[in-house]
This record gives sequence, C-alpha cells and structure tokens, in this order.
Amino acid sequence: MSAVIQASGLGKQYRRTWALRDCTLAIPEGHVVGLVGPNGAGKTTLLRLATGMLAPTCGTITVLGERPAAGPAQLARVGFVAQDTPVYARMTVADHLRLGSWLNPGWDDELARQRIGQLDLDPKQRAGSLSGGQRAQLALTLALAKRPGLLILDEPVASLDPLARREFLQGLMEAVAEHGLSVVLSSHLVADLERVCDYLIVLVASRVRVAGEVSALLAAHHRLSGPRRDTGSVPASQEVITESHTDKQSNLLIRTDEPLLDPSWTVKPVSLEDLVLAYMSRARNDTPGRRQRLGVVS
Amino acid sequence: MIRLSLLQLRVQAVTAAAALAAFAALLAATGPRMASLYAASGLSDCQPASCGNLASNFLQQVNAAGPYGLLYPLGVILIAVTPAVIGLFWGAPLIAREVETGTSALAWGQSVTRTRWLAVKLAVGGLAAMAVTEGMSLLQTWWAAPIGRAVGQGGSGASFAMGQFSPLAFVAHGITPLGYAAFAFTLGVTAGALIQRTVPAMAVTLVVFAAVQIAMPLWIRPSLFPASHTTVTIGRGISFSNNAHGNFRLTTGSLAGQPEAWILSSGAVNAAGHPVSAVPACTQAMVSSAGGPAAVNCLASHGVRIAVTYQPASRYWPFQWTETGIYLALVLALAGYCFRRLSRLS
Repeated sequence: MSAVIQASGLGKQYRRTWALRDCTLAIPEGHVVGLVGPNGAGKTTLLRLATGMLAPTCGTITVLGERPAAGPAQLARVGFVAQDTPVYARMTVADHLRLGSWLNPGWDDELARQRIGQLDLDPKQRAGSLSGGQRAQLALTLALAKRPGLLILDEPVASLDPLARREFLQGLMEAVAEHGLSVVLSSHLVADLERVCDYLIVLVASRVRVAGEVSALLAAHHRLSGPRRDTGSVPASQEVITESHTDKQSNLLIRTDEPLLDPSWTVKPVSLEDLVLAYMSRARNDTPGRRQRLGVVS
Repeated sequence: MIRLSLLQLRVQAVTAAAALAAFAALLAATGPRMASLYAASGLSDCQPASCGNLASNFLQQVNAAGPYGLLYPLGVILIAVTPAVIGLFWGAPLIAREVETGTSALAWGQSVTRTRWLAVKLAVGGLAAMAVTEGMSLLQTWWAAPIGRAVGQGGSGASFAMGQFSPLAFVAHGITPLGYAAFAFTLGVTAGALIQRTVPAMAVTLVVFAAVQIAMPLWIRPSLFPASHTTVTIGRGISFSNNAHGNFRLTTGSLAGQPEAWILSSGAVNAAGHPVSAVPACTQAMVSSAGGPAAVNCLASHGVRIAVTYQPASRYWPFQWTETGIYLALVLALAGYCFRRLSRLS
C-alpha cells in the first residue's frame, strides 16, 4: 500500500503559535479519505502543506512521492479545492475553464464542459454572482478537469445548504467512480463524510488519533453497557476508548479485534459519528489542564 | 500563463487604452497649430544672434494662441503621475488581492509553479506599464517639440516652458518614464507581497513612490555626475536680491551659450574668486531702489562675477541612462524579493 500523502514530524508555526505540530501520518492510495477533527486541529494547515500552499516550518511531507508543488508535473497530479471554494469573482464561468485549459497540460476540456452543462451553469455568468453551491461545483470542476491522481478538498461543503451539499458530494463520488482518483476530504462534520468516505483519519491537536478503513473501524468498535465495574477488569485485547459510569451501570466504547465473550455486557454497534466523537473526547481528556472525565458519548 | 495574465489585466488594459487614446486625442487636436506657429516663426533657420529673441517671440505667441500654457504642464504632470497610478492599481493588487480573496489557492493550485506565475505576471504587467507611460511620453514629446526647440534656442518669456533638466520634465521625457513605470509597478507588487492586503499596500506604494520621486531630483540626481564649475561675467538673466543687513545675492538661471544646462547653484564672487556678499559703495543708493541695470553695471565694474555650479546640457542622456539604470536595478532587487517572499506565502 503506497501513500498519497506521507508526513513525518511535520510542523507549521505562525509567529508564536503552532498551527500544526509534530504531525506524522500516511494516507493510503485509492481511497476516499475523510480527515475529521475539531476546529483548530490543524486540518487546513495540513492540507495547505500537502498542496504546497504553505511551506513547513519543520518536518517533511511528500505527496505522490514528491515534495508538494515541487514542479509543474507534481502540481499537475494534485487537484485542490480550497476552503470556501475561491473563484475569480469578476471572471465568467467560461473564463475559468479557459484558465484551466491554459495552465494544465492534462486538461480534460470535454469533462469540464460536460460538468458545467450538467450543473446548468451559464458559461457567460460571472463567478461572483454564482450561489455558494454553484461556486463550489465550479471549483470542483476546475480541480477534476486537470485530471489529478489525488484530489484534496478542504471543508468543501462547510458553507453549503443541505441540498447543495448532497449534490456536491454526489458529483464528487461520480468523478471518483469514473476516474479512480484518490481523494482526501476534510470536514468537522462526520455526517458529511459518512456518505462518501471509505477511510477515516481523526486528527486532534495535530495528532492522528485513529486511522483506518471505515468498515474495519466500525467492525472493531463496540458500545458495551452492563453492571457497574472497574475498567481494569476489561481484557487486555479490548482498548477502552471512552467510559462512563453511573451507580449501577458502566458504559464503554471499546476497540477490539477479538470476539466479545463476556455475556454480562449488552453489545451494540457504533455509528461513525459515535466513533469519531469518542476519539475526539478521549483526545481532549488526554490534553493536560482539561477536564479529566467526560460523560457518555452519544 | 501569459494568456491568463492578459485576461486578468483586461479591465486595467481597457482603462489604460482609453486614457491613452484621450491623451492622444487632446494632443493631436492642439499640436498642429503649435507646429504651424513654429514654422512661421523663422526659428528653423535663424542666425545664432537672433535665435533667442525669435524663440521668445514664438513662446509668447504660443502662450497667446490657446491653452498651451495649461496643456504643457498638464501633460508633463500626467506622465509623471502615471507610474504612481499604475503602481497603485496594477502593482499593489497583483499578489495582495489574490491572497485577500483566497484565489491564490486557485492560481497556485494549477500546473504552473509559483515562480513562473510571478515571472509572467511581472513581465506582462511591467511591460504594459512601461509601454503606457513611454507611449504618453512620446506623444507629449512630439507635441511639445517646438517648445522644446525654442527653449533650447534660448527662448524665455513663457513661464510654462520647462528646461530638459527641470524635475518634472526630466521624468516625463526621454527614457526615464520606462524606469519610473517599471519601478512603480514592481514597488506596488512588492508592497502587496509584503502586506498581503490591497488597500494598505496601495497606500504604502503611494507614499514610497512619492518619497522617491521627491528625493531623486532634490538629492540624488544632482550628484550622479560631478558638477562643473565656471565663472561668468554679470550679464543677462541675472537676478539680484538684497536684504536689510546690506547683504546681496546674485544668481543666474541660465548660462550664456548653454541654455539647456542644469544650474545647480550660483553666487557672486570677487575678482580673486572668493564669495562676496557685502554691497559695494557704488550700488548702495541703487540697491535701495531694488537694484536695476545700474547696480549690475556697478558690480561688474568692481570685478564681481558669478560663479556657477552646473551640469552641462551634453550630460542629458548620460543622466537619463543612469537614472533609468538605477530604477531598473531597483526593479530587479524588488522582483528578487517578491520571488523569495512568494515561496513562503500561503
């Protein structure tokens, strides 16, 4: 399994504050990867480092085996839809397509025109007067028509209404199915990712808290409830992610690859959202100076 | 990338073309009349002794014939101001607006390196800036050629006529407009790269460019070449002033035989070459009635002459090349900084 993005000890400092610090991760090829984390986790910084928009303060990052933005060839292999999907407000939709065709040797003009046609965008309309959803679609079209091997999207649907959000993700999935590209998509909303991602990375405070294929993650995590007990009694093969206790009852969210044999537990599957929130709250509890225990995650 | 630069420069290019066309139309409408006055003035084949008077006559006629006294300085001022406008509206937003609106992520996410992006943007914008400014300069030079020749032949009497070394005319004619245009544009780009916000970058561009445009003629240009010195007898073109303490000042605005020379300073000296400021006795009475020819004759009879520090007219082109060269060197330095800065921008 080769990595589309590989980072090691990666850090980015702005004056005194670190936006990303000591980040080590490997994002595998051939997946639609969801990068989730709370605001300030360093998602945007990581993706801007991966696209070469930023230069790292320390550490290394390679994207498709090369330094980001190392040259025109590397740039051509990575598509990027930045946060808030910026477009040139005073240029028309057609101008944007021309821009794409001029600046990208691998430009797929047919794909671009087809998408613009499907989206019912008027080529003569100025990009500044497009709706948020249309603007995001235009930015996605630009990124797709350069025919990248890796598409990076930074919170592409964060500012869209639910319908536009669905249409955007649908368009993305169609392109993935058709062209077989790797995708990295960040969001702070798990619901957005659930529909499209087959691989998940939870990033909190620059650290990867959990990473893996969504189906494997869901299969390995369980919600247990049963009579009150000490978590020390849980077998070593079961990693407790979160726990909460009442006088009579204990609730655990655990990760294990072993079968669950203890009949006193009621076992329920976890949703992707439960899983993400569990790792986020555990990460928060790990952070010094925070509240040491958090209630039930639901 | 060149096509994108042109596309993004479209609005500015249309504005510039319209301004240039309006400028050309104004000059084309008024230029021929001046040319016919010049042809009728007899200046084209005058004897050296009479040229000065003919030139002065011509300048007075021009002044009387229409709004030339207004158009001449207006044209020169427009050319001097154009680089600043270009620096503000083309240069400053070039990087700053991209960063400000987030479109930098779109521009730098295409299959073109940032270095190439900037190189093309600087080249296209810089060349356009130089073409517009120099175009205006050539138009105005053509239009004002009769006035320039008349001034060169020693003409005076038209207050609007500027010598070739006068601060405004020097930057509006010859090749200096190229240097100023390229410098102002690159200065704007640099300010934008540094501040990353359009409006503050425009303000900084304006302040710095204005400061350079003032500092250049005041302090830098006069010392680009070592000045020449000469001592002349008191004659035409002398201005005489005195104060209540009995001190007087004698200055000259021109050198006989070198009407186009750049007078840096001048003052009275005695026969031994030492500066004098005390009024000789014979002028005492006349000085109180503001000098006059009699006072001047009196001074001359005491051996008082005028020492002049100046730059010869023949140095006009060396000055032009040197100043333009200085600006082009500044342009390279600023551009180099922009490339370094851009590689670290988000």
